[in-house]
Amino acid sequence: MSARSLAENFFGCLQAGEVDDVMGLMTPDATMSLVPLNRHGPMATDGAAYMRELARSFPDLVVHVRRLLVTADNTAVAEITIEGTQADDFLAVVNQEKHIELDQAWMLKVTPADQISAVTAYWDQNQLYRQLGVKRLDKITITIG
Amino acid sequence: MTTTAIRAGTGVTPRESGTAAPVLAFLHAYRVHDVERMVDLCTDGADFRYVPFEVRGRQRVLHGEGKVRTIGKVIWTALIDAFPDLNNDVTSLRADEHGNVVAEVSVGGTQARPFGVMACTGGHFELPHLFLFHVTGDGLIDDIVAYWDNVDWKRQLGCVEVD
Repeated sequence: MSARSLAENFFGCLQAGEVDDVMGLMTPDATMSLVPLNRHGPMATDGAAYMRELARSFPDLVVHVRRLLVTADNTAVAEITIEGTQADDFLAVVNQEKHIELDQAWMLKVTPADQISAVTAYWDQNQLYRQLGVKRLDKITITIG
Repeated sequence: MTTTAIRAGTGVTPRESGTAAPVLAFLHAYRVHDVERMVDLCTDGADFRYVPFEVRGRQRVLHGEGKVRTIGKVIWTALIDAFPDLNNDVTSLRADEHGNVVAEVSVGGTQARPFGVMACTGGHFELPHLFLFHVTGDGLIDDIVAYWDNVDWKRQLGCVEVD
C-alpha cells in the first residue's frame, strides 16, 4: 500500500471513529504529536485517547482531505478540514452542540513496510475554541452561547 | 530529489537541493528581516494563506489569505515591526518531486508593539509552525501556506482573550 493510500485509509478511519482500525495502520511503537495540545506520546495510548474523544464528541465527524502529497522520505502530508457538531464535552469544553469546521495539517511518516510510525498534527486551537463558544483562554470550561 | 527529510536545526547545515534552496533562502531572508528579498523569491502572482491569521472586526473577518505581494508582504512587515528580533529556526524540511516543500519551523520573537488583539507586554514567544511551499521549475515560490496555534502564541504573550 502506498503512503498516499495509507493516509487516505487513516483519514477514512478517523472520520468513521474507527480507532482500532487506525491502530492497525500503525507500527507498535508509533508516536503522535498533537502540536496545539502539546501532547506528544505513544499512538497506542495518547493518540488513541485523543481520537476516541474526538469520535465521541463529534459523532457526525467528516474529514475532508483537501490536499495530499508524499515527500521523498515517504511522509504523507495532508491538509484536511474536520467538520462536525459537538455532542459531548471535548478537550474540557462543555457541549453546546456547536458546529465546527477546522482546517488542519497532518504529517504521517510511513515505513518501508507500509506502516505509519509517526503522526504530527497542526491546527489553530483558537479557531476551535471560538467555534465551540469559548471566550477566554483561562476559562476554557466556561462558555457563552 | 531523492533525499529524505533534511534536518536543519541549530548548528546543522541543511543539504540544500534545487527545490529546497528557494525555501531556505526565503526563510533566511525572513530571519534577517529582508521582506523585499522574501517577495523577490516568489512569483508575481504567488498565493499566500496563513490559516490561523484572522483579524475580527465588527462587521467582518479579514483572513490571512490572498497574494504574497499584497497581504503576505503586509503581514510579514507588521510581524517584524511588532517583534523586532523575530527569528526562525528550521527544524525539518521535506520535499517531493513536484515542487512541494514542507518545513517545520520554530518562529520566535520579543514583543515591542501590540499585534492584533495581543497588547504589548514585552513577552517572548517561541512557536512551532508548519509551512507548505510550492516551488516552480524556475526556482520561485508560487504558493505559501502556514499553520500554527494562536492559543500557544497568546498564552506566551499573556493574552487570554479568544478574540
